[in-house]
Amino acid sequence: MKNRIEEIRRARNIRQEDLAKCLGVSRQTISSLENGRYDPSIHLAHRIARHFGMTIEEVFIFDEEEAGGKKA
Amino acid sequence: MKRNIGVSIFWLALGAVLIICGALGVLDESWSGMGGGFAVVGALQVLRYVRINRNEAYREKIETENKDERNRFLSGKAWAWAGYLFVIIAAFTSIVLRIAGQDVFSQLVSGGACLMLVLYWGSYLILRRKY
Repeated sequence: MKNRIEEIRRARNIRQEDLAKCLGVSRQTISSLENGRYDPSIHLAHRIARHFGMTIEEVFIFDEEEAGGKKA
Repeated sequence: MKRNIGVSIFWLALGAVLIICGALGVLDESWSGMGGGFAVVGALQVLRYVRINRNEAYREKIETENKDERNRFLSGKAWAWAGYLFVIIAAFTSIVLRIAGQDVFSQLVSGGACLMLVLYWGSYLILRRKY
C-alpha cells in the first residue's frame, strides 16, 4: 500500500529512529512502511495518522485496483 | 522475563547434569553431547538476561523488537514457510529412503510429515473458531 509517511516525516524533519521510538516500533519497520514492503495493521496505521495529526486516508493511499477490488 | 530466566537456568542445569553423567559413564556420549547443547543454549540465555538487566538501552531495544508488529508478522511467516518446507522435504526424503530400501526410516519421516499436516489442520480449525 502506498503511503506518504516518508514525505510527511521529511517535511517535519523527523528521523526514522525518532518516529519509530514514538510509535513503539523498530526503525526497520518504519523503513519497510516507507518502501511499501510492509503494510501496517489498522492499529499501527491509526497511531501513525494520529501522530501526524492527520486521518488514515491522508497518510495511506488505498488503491482499489492494487487490492483487487472494483472501482466504484 | 523472570520465568524465562528460570527456564534458562533449568536448561543450563540439565545440560550440566547430562555432561557430568556422560563423563562419569552413567550415560553414553550422545546424552552428554545433547547436554552440551542444552548447556550452551541455557548459558547464552542467562548471559542475555544479565545484559538486558544491566543495559537500559539494550533492554529497550529488545522490548521494542519483541513488541514490533512487523517482527511478529515476519516470525509467523517464517514459521509458516518452515512448516511448509518441512512437509515438502520430508515427503521427498521419504520417497528417496523408500527407493533406497530404508523402509523403516521412510515410514518415520513420512510419519513426521503427516504429524505436521495434522498439526496444521488442527491449528487452522482452532484459529478459525477464534477469529
